[in-house]
Amino acid sequence: MSRFRMPPQILRLVLLTLVIISSYFVLRMFLKPESFGEFGHYRGAALAERAALEPVFAGAKACAECHTEVIEVQDKHEHRRISCESCHGPARAHAQNPDVKTTAFAETRCLRCHAQEPARPITQKQIVATDHYEGKCLECHLPHNPKESPP
Amino acid sequence: MNPPITRRQLLGGLGGMCGWLMAQPVAQAAKQVVQKVLVSTLAPKGYDPFRHKWLMCFDIDRCIGCGLCVDACKTENHVPEATTYFRNWIERYIIRKPKAGSGEARGEVLVDSPNGGRDGFPPSLVPREEILKSFFVPKLCNLCEHSPCVQVCPVGATFDAPDGAVLVDPNYCIGCGFCIQACPYGCRFLSPETKVAEKCTLCYHRITRGLQPACVEVCPTQARIFGDLQNPIENDPIQEFFRKNKVNVLKPDLGTGPRVSYANMDKEVR
Amino acid sequence: MNLLLATAQAHTVMPIDGYVYPNEQNFLWSVLIVVYPYVTGLVAGAFIMASLVRVFKVKALEPAYRLALLTALAFLICAPLPLLLHLGHPERCLEVMMTPHFTSPMAMFGFVYAWYIMAVLLLELWFDYRRDLVMWSQQVKGPRGLLYGLMTVGVDDLSPRALRLDEKMCDAITIIGVPSAFLLHGYVGFIFGSVKANPWWGNVLMPVIFIFSAIVSGMALCVALYYFINWVRRQAVNDECVDEMGMFLFYALLVDASVEGLDWLHRLYSAEESIYILKQLAAGKLFYSLLIGQVLLGTLLPLLMLGSTQLFRRQIPMWIRRRFYLVSSLLIVCGVLAMRWNVVIGGQLFSKSLRGFTTYKMELHGQEGWPIAAALMILPFIILYVLMKLFLRPDQPTHEQVHGHQAAPAAGG
Repeated sequence: MSRFRMPPQILRLVLLTLVIISSYFVLRMFLKPESFGEFGHYRGAALAERAALEPVFAGAKACAECHTEVIEVQDKHEHRRISCESCHGPARAHAQNPDVKTTAFAETRCLRCHAQEPARPITQKQIVATDHYEGKCLECHLPHNPKESPP
Repeated sequence: MNPPITRRQLLGGLGGMCGWLMAQPVAQAAKQVVQKVLVSTLAPKGYDPFRHKWLMCFDIDRCIGCGLCVDACKTENHVPEATTYFRNWIERYIIRKPKAGSGEARGEVLVDSPNGGRDGFPPSLVPREEILKSFFVPKLCNLCEHSPCVQVCPVGATFDAPDGAVLVDPNYCIGCGFCIQACPYGCRFLSPETKVAEKCTLCYHRITRGLQPACVEVCPTQARIFGDLQNPIENDPIQEFFRKNKVNVLKPDLGTGPRVSYANMDKEVR
Repeated sequence: MNLLLATAQAHTVMPIDGYVYPNEQNFLWSVLIVVYPYVTGLVAGAFIMASLVRVFKVKALEPAYRLALLTALAFLICAPLPLLLHLGHPERCLEVMMTPHFTSPMAMFGFVYAWYIMAVLLLELWFDYRRDLVMWSQQVKGPRGLLYGLMTVGVDDLSPRALRLDEKMCDAITIIGVPSAFLLHGYVGFIFGSVKANPWWGNVLMPVIFIFSAIVSGMALCVALYYFINWVRRQAVNDECVDEMGMFLFYALLVDASVEGLDWLHRLYSAEESIYILKQLAAGKLFYSLLIGQVLLGTLLPLLMLGSTQLFRRQIPMWIRRRFYLVSSLLIVCGVLAMRWNVVIGGQLFSKSLRGFTTYKMELHGQEGWPIAAALMILPFIILYVLMKLFLRPDQPTHEQVHGHQAAPAAGG
């Protein structure tokens, strides 16, 4: 046995293994997404795709572009730090086209924050709705200026 | 027998194959460099994820449990309507007074979150005089430093974005659910509509446009503090939050390093 | 919206054992994920059984050698199916191979699986069967003969030197195969054991427990199949072989039971925050499947039966021993299935808030229904039947039986 001859069964297996491994790499070249690994082990394009989704809430700045006088009033009173959309609902559709109305303001909105609840911090103004003219909030309170009564 | 293969042929074939295999990574790397130079995939225009580090924190003493954040999140992100899918939610903790003579400092702890707190909370069944203390805890993705969900994703469909958000790539997720099992905070779910994992994205499509996340936008009491750690503004709320409060995180013992911090958190919260 | 409000109103404050995170109300990993570790466990166990013959030269087990290998192959072919079926997007499954995320234990699945099936099991079978394939391809006519011919990959060298090489390769592959079988199943255990968020799963001992329960279940399956096949073929079982299998089964079960006992001892003694809810879980929701099914019927009773055959082998007549082996192997096969159920389903029955429980109801319809799971449990047996029709024919003598060899006759009569 002076010269090494690879046994036939081993040779076939080695070739088969090489075929399998190289076909894996070929497949990988085709199936790996383009932007994969751009920033890390993920599809880099996913960031842009996420960012491209359309918002539903407009943000307070958008409201201020038209409704300056309301915001001027609100800014002087207790509700100054509450965003318009907290009570009026999502407004991006409205901001883009004023004909589209926002959700109607309902008086149950007041109770969401002001109904009595032991878990609420004591600094929060709370009422027991049934003892306090339930459903008639707007008869005595102006939401933009809650301490004032309507004229 | 088959025609014999000479040693020369064999070695040549093997060598060629090895060379071809070795050339692959080089070709790939070259392709990536070219891509990086020529194509910028960052959108919207002008937003660079490497120049921001977003973070949300909570002041439990300010949360009034109105549930506007939960509702806003569902609307903004088209979260499945059913009462078992939430990207954020509010828990109500009620700690009873200890039984007289029990020698304990605090009584039974009751937690609930009906519909995630989306519709506010119904009056608690525990009479006021039996309550030692009660509070709300808003929850969302804890934006972990060492996110277990990212660690276990088998394909790289969930990842730590450079700007601090932990995102899911809905076009790449295989829906195995491992990340949902790995999240200690229950912040993920498998969407019944898209069959992929879903979670809070910090409203990625809003923050990249200069807007605030929807839940922060509608929170009436500033219980949610949101900001960019890399670009502090004047009187930055998040810098102030860490300066003024003693803060804590959820399940610190797991070593996930949650970045989301809570001020005034009681020991029962988990 | 009104309806939503109404349900919210109806919701009452629940006591401390009644809160789960809202998203945890959706039960995620169902009976399919119970089947998956069970099936891979049977693979690993059956392979270890076969390697007892090869590596440890347990001559008495030779009648069951090829059966054990083919059983492992049949189950291994089915192992990825439950995983694939439970995915939200099965069509994206190749991503696991194309962009594997190496920090994820699940990403290794494709590679561990490919390694095990191709580099270990198929290779060992090929080397073991090569001389038979060459011989059969010359003797058998028709499509079957053609299939044998294809499987020789064109190598028809039957010189003593080539046969010696086959033997040597088989031994070498088995030696690689044993740690590979541990890897295959230890890795399944690691998928669960690495989830630190879940105190029922996150446990260093998990891979070890999985490996030993896998060995036990695979051996028990081989024992049961050996009985069954001999019953079908109206042959008498080889008493020496079953005695030997019973012995190995007993010791494997003993180790398995000790490791699981150690796990519980450690949990109870270290008594971490989660122990209260885990105790409630074991004594409540998992009472029947854990304490009765897994511990009592699946472990203690077989231990008693097998142990008595070991201690009092002379006093217990052979016909009772035979029945003891059969009954305890069936009990073990069911007990390990219960164990997989307890791990997978049990781990999702309690909230990670440690404040409450969810419930799991097996579905009938859909992707994750129990009929599919049952079909996946039956499929390997169908594959095994086909494999045996091809490679374990009593009417088709092997090369060794025809030409004689230094080794004893192989399985299949």
